[in-house]
Amino acid sequence: MEKKRILIVEDAAYMREMLTEMLAQEKDRYEVVDYAVNGKEAVEKYKEQKPDLVTMDLAMEVMDGIQAIIEIKKHDPNALIIAITALGTPEQKSAALDAGAGEYLWKPFTIRNLFDALERLQRKSE
Amino acid sequence: MNYTMKKQLLILSFASLSCVILALYFASHGTTIVYTHIFYIPIILAGIWYKKKAVYLALLLGTAHIFMTLFAIYPPTMEIVIATSERAFMFVVVAYVIGLISEKQAKGEERLKATKDYLDNIIKSSADAIVVVNMNGIVRSWNKAAEEHMGYTAKEVIGTHNRKFFAVPEEAERIMEIVLREGELKNYRTIVLNNAKKQVHISMSAALLRDKNGVPVGTVRVSRDITKEVELEEKIKEERDNLNLILESMPDGVYIVSKDYKVEFMNRVLIDDFGYHIGDVCYKVFHNRKNPCPLCKNTEVMKGKTVRWEWQSHRENRTYDLVEAPLKNSDGTISKLTIFRDISGRKRMEEELRDAEDRYRVIFEHALTSLCVLEEGGRISLANQEFALLSGYTKEEIVGKTWADFIADEDRDRVQNYCAERREGRASACIPFNFVHRSGELRHVNAWIEPIPGANNCIASLVDVTELKRKEQELRETCERLTELDKMKRDFLNVAYHEMRSPLAPIVGYASLLELCELPDKGRKYVSSIEQSARELDMMINRMLELARIDSRKINLILTEFALAEVVQEVVKSVEPAAKKKHQVISTSVPDIVVQADKEKTAAVFSNLIFNAVKYTNEGGGIDISVEERGGDIKVCVSDTGIGISEEHLPKVFERFYMVDTSLTRKSGSLGLGLSIVKEYVNLHGGKVWATSEPGKGSRFFFLMPKRQS
Repeated sequence: MEKKRILIVEDAAYMREMLTEMLAQEKDRYEVVDYAVNGKEAVEKYKEQKPDLVTMDLAMEVMDGIQAIIEIKKHDPNALIIAITALGTPEQKSAALDAGAGEYLWKPFTIRNLFDALERLQRKSE
Repeated sequence: MNYTMKKQLLILSFASLSCVILALYFASHGTTIVYTHIFYIPIILAGIWYKKKAVYLALLLGTAHIFMTLFAIYPPTMEIVIATSERAFMFVVVAYVIGLISEKQAKGEERLKATKDYLDNIIKSSADAIVVVNMNGIVRSWNKAAEEHMGYTAKEVIGTHNRKFFAVPEEAERIMEIVLREGELKNYRTIVLNNAKKQVHISMSAALLRDKNGVPVGTVRVSRDITKEVELEEKIKEERDNLNLILESMPDGVYIVSKDYKVEFMNRVLIDDFGYHIGDVCYKVFHNRKNPCPLCKNTEVMKGKTVRWEWQSHRENRTYDLVEAPLKNSDGTISKLTIFRDISGRKRMEEELRDAEDRYRVIFEHALTSLCVLEEGGRISLANQEFALLSGYTKEEIVGKTWADFIADEDRDRVQNYCAERREGRASACIPFNFVHRSGELRHVNAWIEPIPGANNCIASLVDVTELKRKEQELRETCERLTELDKMKRDFLNVAYHEMRSPLAPIVGYASLLELCELPDKGRKYVSSIEQSARELDMMINRMLELARIDSRKINLILTEFALAEVVQEVVKSVEPAAKKKHQVISTSVPDIVVQADKEKTAAVFSNLIFNAVKYTNEGGGIDISVEERGGDIKVCVSDTGIGISEEHLPKVFERFYMVDTSLTRKSGSLGLGLSIVKEYVNLHGGKVWATSEPGKGSRFFFLMPKRQS
């Protein structure tokens, strides 16, 4: 099976690090191709790398996650994005889903939660 | 000497001369016996005509007879002398007797004639028509007045029937019949027709005429023309009728009484009230008194005065307005006309009005609002004590000032416009403006102008809101500060929660990663503890966030239809691991019903209640969840065999951060937020929650929620 290429969008370095560690647990299936620290960079990196999956933090400087999802979706309507946030309000969840995120993950989450979400996202796209 | 007398004298002279010549002739032939009788002719005639004066003629003729006899037989025998003297004497006696009789008769005749003349004169000169009609109805006599009244001359009508004179011809027989029956007729009114066929009203009196044997022979009728009187009477009657009609139809009581208090007339209104009492005395009828009323105005009215007065009947507690006027009758007497009206209602209203005025005056004077009356042009005509206090002037000083004197310059136009609009009935809210105190100090007032109905003036009411305004300003400032604080608090909390949760992510994340590593048993236990605590911290933060959202009303129900049993099963499944650890048994009894509600929140309610039950129930206890339908609601009961809650704490368990027992809280590691969220969610659905408990035996948490949101 082909490795899924993942773009991690996250402004906090420790979160980027943790996500990388978690994904490293399934080296055969997932590969982190790049990182972005804000929405703007995320859109650029997405166009550049064309990843299979994106983990998108919502609360970021310059351009926030919701806006970035919209931009990416504009560029590639088939983009598969997991929104990740600490502000777990229903409004934000539905805003992210409306923007085009396929899955939604609340902080804090376990490694199990992450892989479940990734799998659900992929199943949906099939 | 008239013609008759001359004729009589001539006849007498001729007769006497004839006798003397005849006597001479017989005497010359020697006989004296035969001719003497003819001397009686002139003597009797003279006796009739000249009464006793005939004696002179008898003496003359007797003397002549004696001389004739002496002339014929001379010397006479004694016998002849005696016989002749006897005859002569007889002449005188006859003349005297006849003269006497004639004289007596003439005297009677003369008297009769005088009487007749007298009667004729009366009849002739009478102003009344006097007519004699015989038993057959034929006119026998018709006097001058009759001629004048009727236009027929006596000549024309005497001998004709009297029927043609009556407007109704049968009257002729009728009158005759009455006169025959009664012997007379008095003041009988009828209508006759004159020559010009015009109706003449007459009043007739009649008497029966009888002959000396008492047999009726006719009637004598005396009639008077009363046309004018009848017309006048009719006019009077008509006027009386009209008057009565007016009086009848008046809504006021009207009655007429005579001088001696007899009721002559009462109108419909009175008859309806008192019954028909015409002919009775007024004081008895109207006042049930035995004597005339002391207030009666009869005497004054009888003197010709019209009196108007008010009568207060204390017995009936009513007031009457009376007009009493003299009314002249056709017979010259005066009756009293009384018109009266019950004005008790009006009087009462006047009194009430006066009372109301007094009342309003008291209200006006003692109202705690500043009041003044504004005349046209803005002059103040009246002000109350409160207005005096507000303005700093006395009430007397205020009267005469204008409204504009009390309005600050910058507000004057605006207030005057408002006043004008209020006068026209427009503008509905009151107007705030700056009121100028005597000292020049400005006061904030709210004014209301109300036009007084039926008058040209208005009443202005003012409330001094200076203090109120100051307090309002203070309050507004406080409110703004508090709103600001609240927003800051919410912002702070939101940021705080977010910031608190962010470091939780690597704690939980790395703990889950650590679990995958090879660790000694102890290490695995530690990691598990870290993860457990981090999860609880996360849950607490979630709840605090949720309550903050409810407080700022950011929560909306997302309504869907779902099977209640499924939600309960899911919740039970998530709780089961914790329950199993404590060897607790969870039993459910949920009917197969579909509800329409916010699925997530409903699940949260069940979850919180069941988690609590598990948490506060000791090892081996039982938890029971039962749902039943109650009409349009569902009633849910979550009961446990836990530690229970004492009565004093029971009502407060749904309050935020309310902890029944701090030590317990510490042991269980929870903040009392779960039940608060349960309460808020159930309330959002229009339901309610409550709890019962027996400390040491267990608790029961109930909630009631509509099956569908309307």
